[in-house]
Amino acid sequence: MNKNKNTDRYERMKKTSSVHMAMEIKKTLKETIEDFPNNPEGMDYFYKLVSIFTEEKKINTNGKKVIATTCVQVPTELILAADAHPFRMCSGAYSTDQIGSEYLPAKTCPLVKSTLGMMHLDFYQVDKKPLAVINPTTCDQKRKLGEISRDLVDVPHYPLELPPTKDTEEARIYWQKVVKRFTKYIEQITGNKITRQKLKNSIRKVSRAQQEYRKFYTLRKGKPVIWGKDSILITNTYFYDDIERWTLSMKKLNKELERKVKNKEYITNARSPRILLTGSPSIFPNLKIPLLIESLGGVIVAEEFCSTSRMLYDTVAVDEWFMYDMVPALADRYLKPCTCPNFTPNKDRERRLLEMIKDFSIDGVIYQTFAGCQLYDMESRNISKLFEKNGTQMLLIETDYSPEDHGQISTRLEAFIESLKTRTHI
Amino acid sequence: MNKIKTYIDNANVSRFRFWVQLVTFILFVYGGYWGISISQNLPIFACPYDHATGGTCYLISLQHQLHITWANLFSWRGVAILTSFGTFLIFFLVLNKAWCGFVCPVGTLQDWITKLRKSLGIRFSRYEDSTFKYLKVIKYIFLLWLLIVPLAIANSFFGLPQMSHDWFPPFCTICPTRVIMPLFTGDVSQLIIDFSSTPSLIMTTLGVLAAGLFLTGSFVKKRFFCLFCPMSALQYLFSKIAFLRLNKDGNKCTKCGNCYRVCDVGIKEIADDITSKNIVKDDCMLCLKCVEACPEDRCLEVTFLKFPIISATEEGFFKRYGTDNKELKDE
Repeated sequence: MNKNKNTDRYERMKKTSSVHMAMEIKKTLKETIEDFPNNPEGMDYFYKLVSIFTEEKKINTNGKKVIATTCVQVPTELILAADAHPFRMCSGAYSTDQIGSEYLPAKTCPLVKSTLGMMHLDFYQVDKKPLAVINPTTCDQKRKLGEISRDLVDVPHYPLELPPTKDTEEARIYWQKVVKRFTKYIEQITGNKITRQKLKNSIRKVSRAQQEYRKFYTLRKGKPVIWGKDSILITNTYFYDDIERWTLSMKKLNKELERKVKNKEYITNARSPRILLTGSPSIFPNLKIPLLIESLGGVIVAEEFCSTSRMLYDTVAVDEWFMYDMVPALADRYLKPCTCPNFTPNKDRERRLLEMIKDFSIDGVIYQTFAGCQLYDMESRNISKLFEKNGTQMLLIETDYSPEDHGQISTRLEAFIESLKTRTHI
Repeated sequence: MNKIKTYIDNANVSRFRFWVQLVTFILFVYGGYWGISISQNLPIFACPYDHATGGTCYLISLQHQLHITWANLFSWRGVAILTSFGTFLIFFLVLNKAWCGFVCPVGTLQDWITKLRKSLGIRFSRYEDSTFKYLKVIKYIFLLWLLIVPLAIANSFFGLPQMSHDWFPPFCTICPTRVIMPLFTGDVSQLIIDFSSTPSLIMTTLGVLAAGLFLTGSFVKKRFFCLFCPMSALQYLFSKIAFLRLNKDGNKCTKCGNCYRVCDVGIKEIADDITSKNIVKDDCMLCLKCVEACPEDRCLEVTFLKFPIISATEEGFFKRYGTDNKELKDE
């Protein structure tokens, strides 16, 4: 089936990439853990979880069927309700980015390249090959990914038709129908019926996870008790971890952080510049920008990323706990509050950022765009105009997964953070 | 004080509402048996065709008062209309549209029919957005009808002949409440179709048809009848100055649409309008399900004369929607 796979070259590629990936993860983990003193104990679970990838181990899915997703708009509750293990495949690894580059145009975004490389080499973070890849039709590159991957990946690809706008009633109804059809598809490929009780339970499960995440989110509105790089890593593990285990670990961490708030044990100088990070998502092991920011004296107190708050913040409310109301309710939750720049208009993202700047007492915004990520790049224009009016400092950084721009970005970030420091009078 | 507020914010308002509705239903359907008569100018459908009602709908009083000649209207008899209206207004201003959501027996009856449907696991239907826009105008047409016809019976408009008295009372005769509410006291007399004159025949036939439509409609559509209720139209004219209010802070709204999803009357603005502070729309019945479903702290808030009564909170939301998952073990 896959012409590209049964060759010596493929095997060699797989071998070297897996060595590179382990090195990359090891290096990022070392920087994440060792360069920062007094990381909370509750983080150990999450560090350990990602460290297994350096030993070529995978996340244990307890014999469950696995379904992969590539964007934040897939209603994972439906996958959970079919007794399958959902995992989000978006990759942050430079080693697989290089593999993906072979098959995609040069100006493609690194996230898409890396994800394709990962699929091509079967580098899934979970211990089983997925039954299907659910790919919401978000940005152009993700949309075409499925077609290009046809010859490179031996997992069926299911395009989930996300409308390009979300404010109209037509879009909402359309998306509800798409999700309804998706429910049937999940039942079909897993062979498990999604019953009313199972779906209700899975909604509750996700809701519990969200409750813990939101507690964590709120804790960061105060003086800093946790680094942003840790927050990003935590939400990344939600991509593939068992949801109940993740929720419990989160609960433990929250308890510890609450204690730290009470005892005023801050992670760094309580007057360090408070940074909001937004734009193209930072995904482990690509913690380049967050690690740089925090090693230069800033502290990321909030992220507006599809890999963090956008994924876990908004909740589902159901009026009648039957399939006929639960499925459309899920559809609404994944469409209406989403601030993905593929929607037009996307005023909600502007409002959301302004509200976050107020809530988190933000000193400066760092807007990351990946080279080739056109949507975030284009949207940065309006956002920066908005901030100009609002008097918020913003630094736009274009980067990718390669370590080459480290020095240049470091200089720019340092200058930005220093300028914020003079404003906050440290 | 803060503790009380948290308790209220975390409360299950829907359960509280169920009990209030039960009590008020008994009061306004059977209250007459205990000699209760609260007022003749209530802003709810407490129907006097039910001989045991504990109060009277203002619309029937209004229709009777407007059955008046022009000469009398501008004499001292007109004052009665004003005092009656004043009483109605005072009642209304206190609770605003919460009269519909918490007190009106016809609303309660529809909520019970919805409960019956739910227990059978039958899905509900919603209007399409475009249909909804047209349908919501009907209640204002009914309101005009019930204001003009009594005057047209008593007077001649522009030299036209006066209307027959058999059209009277122009709304009550076609109101499904007239037919249905007496049934609760075993009175089936309102089920008749009156063949004595053409207007009577038309009106009583429409009334019985409306009753049938009411029962089937509210079985498939939540609060089916409220969309057409002229009382709701009359109330809304004064809703802006009422004491009890539902406010929204648009900056805090993430447009997640939870409030719209749970809204029994399908008010889209509750989720999409991020500029208005006062978010009570003409079909709103202040049932507060939206406040229960909103996870943003103080995004939706009910106030009484600016004093906050209940606010949407994250904690309250998760209490109601998230945490009773028995499958999740604690540590």
